Amino acid sequence: MHIHKDLKMAEVIHMNHHLLPVLNRFDIYLGFGERTVEAVCIDHKVNVDFFLEIVNTFHDSSYFPLRHLQSFKASMLIDYLHKTHAYYLDVKIPEIGRYISEIAQTSDFEEIHRKLLKDFFNQYQHELTNHINKEEQGVYPYVLRLEKALESEDANAETIKELQQYSIIEYEKDHDDVEAKLFDLKNILIKYLPPVHNNKLLNLIVHEIFELERDLNNHGHIEDLILVPIVENMEKELLSRHPKRHSNV
Amino acid sequence: MSNRLCILIAEPSFLIREGLKTLLSNQGQPYRLEEFDAPVDDLDKLINRINPDLVLLNPKLVVRLVSLPRYSDNNFEPYYIGLFEPGTPPHIQSKFDQMIWLDAEKSELNKVMEKVLKHLRNGLSEPENNSLSERELSILKLVALGHTNNEIADKLFISAHTVMTHRKNITRKLGIKTVSGLTVYAILNQLIKIEEIQGAD
Ligand SMILES: [Fe+2]
Ligand SMILES: [Fe+2]
Repeated sequence: MHIHKDLKMAEVIHMNHHLLPVLNRFDIYLGFGERTVEAVCIDHKVNVDFFLEIVNTFHDSSYFPLRHLQSFKASMLIDYLHKTHAYYLDVKIPEIGRYISEIAQTSDFEEIHRKLLKDFFNQYQHELTNHINKEEQGVYPYVLRLEKALESEDANAETIKELQQYSIIEYEKDHDDVEAKLFDLKNILIKYLPPVHNNKLLNLIVHEIFELERDLNNHGHIEDLILVPIVENMEKELLSRHPKRHSNV
Repeated sequence: MSNRLCILIAEPSFLIREGLKTLLSNQGQPYRLEEFDAPVDDLDKLINRINPDLVLLNPKLVVRLVSLPRYSDNNFEPYYIGLFEPGTPPHIQSKFDQMIWLDAEKSELNKVMEKVLKHLRNGLSEPENNSLSERELSILKLVALGHTNNEIADKLFISAHTVMTHRKNITRKLGIKTVSGLTVYAILNQLIKIEEIQGAD
């Protein structure tokens, strides 16, 4: 069942509590009373349609608007994606990192196992941080510049020049998958590390990795399947206003 | 990987899609279905997202059909069945693993479907033998030590393509996709020693 604006927000959480961190990215927190999704969104000055699109893609991964693309403002999307990045780097990764160093200290893993686990996770952290920084410094600001150029009558000449040399398709092409290592880490923990005594912490780590993997998956899909097409349209629109000059003119 | 088949049907005609679904359910195999009836701009993207085991595709729906998405780091290779209308050119036909002519007899179609599902079922119903073959073990060791596919191909006198196929099987059997993951696996299973690794990756 899809989430719609007349559902009570509390029901939404009963339906799928994994949505809580997603709500938090809109600065929406628990304590909904009997208010509907729409009412809560209005209270928090959140665009209801946008909210619904995001929670539904998260709730049901086959919901993706492959055919009918939504025309949301790109800056809205960037804001959401940016908060998601912050959640990974400031909350989730440090949390899992703490568990991992705790298990490395307290468990009866052999020295080599501890080292492998810690190194692997550090590598992952490094990889994810790089991926995110690249987006935060490259493609996101580019999208915001495009939006600004579209909104103003006479666009900044530099933005137009940039647009004539770069396209979001390039981002799309080498937008790599950041979940692969996480997938491996999961199997290393589930299948390949030898059993240890204080298993509860390991359970927790595995659980956290599943959650993070799901979140990252959704995030990547939003970038590829919503952000990219929206930006493609923006590029087309801007280019039609400022046609490319032929080099031999 | 779940044991339920994921099947993607991309075909513009509603009636044909319904017909295919009936054929599929006649085979008595549980499956999850994704349907598309609109032109597909980016087939790679679609396949990557859905990660199907079986694709029934009318090539007419693909905007520019250059090649069918095969192996990628994250996905297992889907099995492609072309849904062909009379007059589909041979160079398109040859891209597919199997073909269905949409004007064929129903009994003919049933036979194709049965064959395909059997093939897929064998691939899915795991617990068979998940242990690595000798060849896979030696390739795994070389990967874990940081060698590229081409280097491995040279060392073992096989083609880079064959190396890829082995790597795909290793990944499927172990549930590990990345080089550093395979390295950890190899150390944990004492296939290589930590000191042997040349530099970090
Ligand atoms: Fe991102
Ligand atoms: Fe990304």
